[in-house]
Amino acid sequence: MMKKDDAMTDPDRAGQARPAASRSVVRAMIWATVPVLLLVQLLASAGVEVSSFWSQIRQLDARIARVADSRAELIAEPLWKMRYEQVTSVLDEIMHDESISAAAVYDDTGAAIARVVARPTGQAVAEVSRPIKYSNGNIAVQAGRIAIAYSYSSLYADAGSRLMMLLVVGVLATLATVIAMRISANVFIGGPLAAMMSAIQRSKQDGRAYPADVRASNEFGQLAQAFNAMQHTTSGALDRLGHMASHDPLTGLPNRRSLTERLVVLSSEAGSHDALVAFCFIDLDDFKGINDTFGHDAGDKFLIHISERLRGAVEAEDWVARLGGDEFVVIRPEVTNEAAAQAFARRLLDAISEPIRLHDKLVMPRASIGLAVRHADDPELSHLPALADIALYHAKSKAPGTVAVLDEALQRDYRRRRDLELAIPAGFAEGQFEVWYQSQIDLENQSVACLEALIRWRHPEHGVIGPAEFLPLIERSGNNARLTRYVLTDACRALQRLAAASKPQIRIAINLPPSELADHSLAGDIRETCTLFGVAASSLELEITEGSLINNITSASETLRRLRRLGATIALDDFGTGYSSLAHLRRFPLDKVKIDKAFISEIPASAEDKAIVGVIASLADTLGLTLIAEGIERAEQAQAMREIGVRFGQGYLYQRPQPLDAVLQWLEGQPAPERQVLAESPSVVPEFAA
Amino acid sequence: MRFLRILLAVSLACGVLAPAGGAVAAEGKPLNIVFVNPGKTGEVFWDMVSQTMQAAGRKLNAKVEVLTSERNYRTMQELGLAVLARAEKPDFLILSNEESAAVPIVEAAEIAGVKTLLLSNTLIGEDAARLGPPREKLKTWLGDITTDLTTAGARMANALIGAARARKWQSSDGRIHILGIGGDEITPASIARNAGLDLAVAAAPDVVVDRMLFANWTQSEAEHVTANYLNWASRKGIRPAGIWAGNDPMALGALNALAAAGLAPGRDIEVVGLNWSEDALREIKVGRLLLTDGGHFLLGGWSIVLLRDYADGCDFAAASPHVEVKTSAVTRNNLVSVSALIRTRAFERIDFARFRAKAGACGRYDFSIDALISSLSPANGAGE
Repeated sequence: MMKKDDAMTDPDRAGQARPAASRSVVRAMIWATVPVLLLVQLLASAGVEVSSFWSQIRQLDARIARVADSRAELIAEPLWKMRYEQVTSVLDEIMHDESISAAAVYDDTGAAIARVVARPTGQAVAEVSRPIKYSNGNIAVQAGRIAIAYSYSSLYADAGSRLMMLLVVGVLATLATVIAMRISANVFIGGPLAAMMSAIQRSKQDGRAYPADVRASNEFGQLAQAFNAMQHTTSGALDRLGHMASHDPLTGLPNRRSLTERLVVLSSEAGSHDALVAFCFIDLDDFKGINDTFGHDAGDKFLIHISERLRGAVEAEDWVARLGGDEFVVIRPEVTNEAAAQAFARRLLDAISEPIRLHDKLVMPRASIGLAVRHADDPELSHLPALADIALYHAKSKAPGTVAVLDEALQRDYRRRRDLELAIPAGFAEGQFEVWYQSQIDLENQSVACLEALIRWRHPEHGVIGPAEFLPLIERSGNNARLTRYVLTDACRALQRLAAASKPQIRIAINLPPSELADHSLAGDIRETCTLFGVAASSLELEITEGSLINNITSASETLRRLRRLGATIALDDFGTGYSSLAHLRRFPLDKVKIDKAFISEIPASAEDKAIVGVIASLADTLGLTLIAEGIERAEQAQAMREIGVRFGQGYLYQRPQPLDAVLQWLEGQPAPERQVLAESPSVVPEFAA
Repeated sequence: MRFLRILLAVSLACGVLAPAGGAVAAEGKPLNIVFVNPGKTGEVFWDMVSQTMQAAGRKLNAKVEVLTSERNYRTMQELGLAVLARAEKPDFLILSNEESAAVPIVEAAEIAGVKTLLLSNTLIGEDAARLGPPREKLKTWLGDITTDLTTAGARMANALIGAARARKWQSSDGRIHILGIGGDEITPASIARNAGLDLAVAAAPDVVVDRMLFANWTQSEAEHVTANYLNWASRKGIRPAGIWAGNDPMALGALNALAAAGLAPGRDIEVVGLNWSEDALREIKVGRLLLTDGGHFLLGGWSIVLLRDYADGCDFAAASPHVEVKTSAVTRNNLVSVSALIRTRAFERIDFARFRAKAGACGRYDFSIDALISSLSPANGAGE
């Protein structure tokens, strides 16, 4: 659910960012192009204007020069003939030219004959001077000179106003371009993008794939077509994906995910307060055996058969799911009472139990059902799977092949487990965990060789709780390592006290949970703790189960080797109940094997058990492993073990697990061991190896 | 209106002068002559032309009718053509080809069969080429009587040069600097005078005409350009030695400019003019003007002499249809005898009959100032 939410959120954010991004694309385009456009336009027009300005300057120069020449021609005769008023009037005429600011005519003596000043001279005054040549048939003389001062200021003003106009035109043109770009970008880019975005948004809202309404035939039209095609494809894929996500591919039944949704639907659709929901948690018994015997294909076929039978056994309003493996769930949304629910569950069992033909062999399927019944409006409706699981657990452990109904007792157990699970942190913090010790006796001389550290939980409400009940909870809450360190520390402290009580030969055995063997820091932690308490690691014995070896063979054997290098000895616990693999005995660096008490309890009555223990003993002897028998409660059992050749024993016959103080007190009353044996065996390992 | 006024003036002149003319006239049949005067009433030269013409008519049994154009060439053409359109056509039509305005009249006269004489200004340029010499294409165009103004211009220049040399009025460059003031640049009468100046200066390497300025024949413009010249000359470091003026008014303007510049004409610089005008004669008398050339207003009288001889069978074309009359300079030396004549305009004192060609020498005339002076009857003999 969380994951799905995340998945929903991300595209959401992306979706909201998209329109902003598209706007900024247009803006970025405008920002990228407009200044360039403006600059180029201004530079171009300025360039054109400047060149035009220079050409106008040149034209003005040329024009004034022409004026000077023509005036010189006109003036020559009156000047030469000293008709100075004519000279002045001719000179006056040129003052109509606005560019000319002043003009003067000088005769051949350099005296100013005529001088006109039109306007005060501004900046940029240029002057042109031309000789006035007079000639008639007889003579050709220079009669004088004409000088014209003229100003570029009108050109400057014109150029300035033109530049200003060009600037304005340029800015207006740029503005128009910007508007045109904006409009066209909105029409050609923004519109199609918005249409696609809208399609994406709608698709996101209800998970269906909507096409984008873009009719353009340009690239965006093609993009939209491609997008729509993709949407179409995605739509199918999403449907399939959705179905796959909520259905078991093998049987086509809804899966675990659907279950959660189904419960929500049930809760919201609760018709009346009286309506009861029957929740059947079905687990096939020994499905592993079928897989192992007939192969996985047959196992799959088997599961398909089961699912078909379940489907056949239920009504239309009922709901069947496969949670995975051999677990099925059937929910009947309305039952009148618990008895009806139980009857329904039994019918399901009956339906399942019809024989199935696999590889020409008839197989009798068997299943257990945990049944939980709740009102539809029960706020704990979402806990139905867990509740039914409690019942199922009970059924499988107590009466496989039956229907177990969740009752008050089961629920109490469940609540207790939950309470304990929640109390674990407090348990650590408040030192509620206690380490008790049970002695392991050398059967030959009755001396205490070792103490097994056994964890207890002194719960303020529930009293002292055994490890069988709370260790699974510790493991599930991820506190294995913490608890192991806790025990280790206590064991080291106990070793100190043993040494102080002059019993340094007594070693302490610690149980390692499977997860610890995968923890590479364990060996280091043990060494540090031993150093801290000043005790030898060789005084420690580490008990492991076969199960911990199976899951991670490489890592486990590596950890074991490290531990042995520290000097600790390794004991295989509960041997005989699990895999009892001879290969394990040979492959792993083991020192000791603990024979499970199941083999001891019937001894000496059971000759079979006795034989088994004998085989184990001869095997251990062959492999150089030390043996210890657990659960020795009677003297004849101890005697039998001794006869078989089991060196050590542990059980109520000798001592029940007790807090250390009680153990130390008890030890006081024990006879001292024979020292010479100990003197000959400073290290346990060589002794056992011998 | 103007035309009526002209007619009135003519009839008055005829009415007053006819008895005297009739009394003097002695030779040949009486002649009927019309003169279309191009000038303006009150314009001294052309008035004097008309007056000498009429004085000669009275002496030579010719009735001279003067029509005045008032300086309007269109009027001149209208007057000429109107004369030709008369029922009783005159024996001779005297025209002056100023601005070539007389050409249409001359051509019309050919058609009308009226004999024409061009006075002072004859055909020039294209007209001359087109119409050819007198009495060829135009049978009735008898010829022309003009003044040799080139000689006049040269004589004036030489008088200036002589005076300057004598008084060592050379400038620092060792040359004698002269200002020329012409009337205009286009009329033949002006061009001829100016050419005279050029001829004289060309022959004198120590003389330079600084400028040939043109003053439209008027005193004020001459004064103006002279002032400009004097300024220029002083800036240029030139000592002006003489001013050659194309007519008397311009000479008088130059005198004014000199006075304004603080120069004393006759002492610091010499000025010459042309026209024998009264004012000029006065300035000669007080020594401010060196001379005034001219006397060509007598062309009026001389033209009547020619036509009288022609009518009486002594054709001036025997020598040439182009009669060119030399002008004469009035200086302080000969001032006295001429000035009274000019001042009083008592042209009756001139015995025009004395100037007629002698038999066998048709076309040969002596119109010199000496001949003139000797022909004059005593001043008190006139009706003054």
